[in-house]
Amino acid sequence: MLNHYTMKKYFSIAGLLLLAAFTWIACTKENPVDEDGLLITTRAECYVSNFELLGTDFQTVLTGAPQIDTTACTVKAKVFFGTDLSNLYPQFSLVTDAKLDPKITGKVNFSDLDHPKQYTVISGNRQVRKTYTVYITVQQP
Amino acid sequence: MPVKHLKYTWLLPAFLLMMAACKDDKYALPTAKDGLHNDCIKRTLGPNLVGQPIEFAYAMAILPSQGKIVSAQVEASIAGAPQTWLQNNSFYTNGSGDDVGIQVADPSVNEGAVTKVSFTKDTSAATLRYYYYIPEEVRGKTVRFTFNSKSSNGETVSYAMGPYTISKMDMKLDIPVKDAANCFISIADLAAYNSTDAAASPDKIDLVYLYRSIPNISFNHSLVSPGADKQYLPGVALPPNANRSTRISKVWNLQDFNLARLKYGVYIDDLDFEKLDISNAPNYAINMKEEAGAWVETADGKYRAYIFINKVNNGSKSAVISIKRYTLK
Repeated sequence: MLNHYTMKKYFSIAGLLLLAAFTWIACTKENPVDEDGLLITTRAECYVSNFELLGTDFQTVLTGAPQIDTTACTVKAKVFFGTDLSNLYPQFSLVTDAKLDPKITGKVNFSDLDHPKQYTVISGNRQVRKTYTVYITVQQP
Repeated sequence: MPVKHLKYTWLLPAFLLMMAACKDDKYALPTAKDGLHNDCIKRTLGPNLVGQPIEFAYAMAILPSQGKIVSAQVEASIAGAPQTWLQNNSFYTNGSGDDVGIQVADPSVNEGAVTKVSFTKDTSAATLRYYYYIPEEVRGKTVRFTFNSKSSNGETVSYAMGPYTISKMDMKLDIPVKDAANCFISIADLAAYNSTDAAASPDKIDLVYLYRSIPNISFNHSLVSPGADKQYLPGVALPPNANRSTRISKVWNLQDFNLARLKYGVYIDDLDFEKLDISNAPNYAINMKEEAGAWVETADGKYRAYIFINKVNNGSKSAVISIKRYTLK
């Protein structure tokens, strides 16, 4: 039969082992995050699913649905006549877990139509990168 | 009794305390305090604009056994415009929720900065509305008010309100504009001119209102500065020397309460104009809709304004606009 002191010793050892196990689990990177603090997943899909452009009044300036070519990596959008191209808010919808580079933090100047803006989509596993070019045309009478 | 059971005795007073705490007190009619009392609230919300009233509701009461109210007056730190008045009706709310006024005093009299009424009916409690019409000389300053009432037993009470800052803004409501008629808008004058009047002072024309129904594009109701590209002024004959390039930025969902007079409790104040930055905005705004608006900065940098579109009419090619304007220089 174990005496009181032996029991106490065994409990202490078991407790230390349990603590070590918890610490090890806590430190394991099962859910890695990228430099933006976003979850890195296993998804390799990498494309733009929708695109929107808003004016300074936060109303759409697009005359219709944009043409998104996921093979050629292009977005073609037509805006209303008279749209102020230098103050637009672009909005990209991406495949699950993907992210955009550069980030959109406010108004963007699209007025230089000869040098269309480019945005890179990065897949959920952060291994695939596809650069999309946004071509804007203005509705004409 | 074993001693160990004694440690549970604290539970008994705890239960008693909980029972007492849950017991509701019976309602009793409040007892009116002695003497003459008064209270006041400011009813007007939003910025205090020159030419517009600030409305207060001033309440006073005394026990009928102690006397009646004989007079009430308001003293403003700066005299109001001549339209300033203290209402001589006291109101109660009827069963339909409507405020019904009963005359209790003679019409108010303005003596300098003091507006007063003398009661003509035996009244022990009344709430009077006070409308201070903001005069030009208060623009950008602060104003305070002291409300006073007097009872027949010689008591007087007073209530101080303020200070209230008076806005630097100007406002002009419901300016009709019509394509090819009174379509030349001057922010400096807060007016819309026809071509003849505009030709007399072309340097004051900041925007042109026009309506066009052009196939394949949405032009419709637009505000375009005279200095804009000619493609945004199709068929417009500008007055000679009208060439100002006014910055204009379209806005949606900003139905300022003063301008729109709709249900939205949104107010544009001086601070909005002070912090506004439309330095890279274009000099035209195409396809404006009813209840839309636009921030504007004049070419000389003297004024910033917000133009609200109250109404549009495609058939008559016209619109009604209201403007709030802030002077920068």
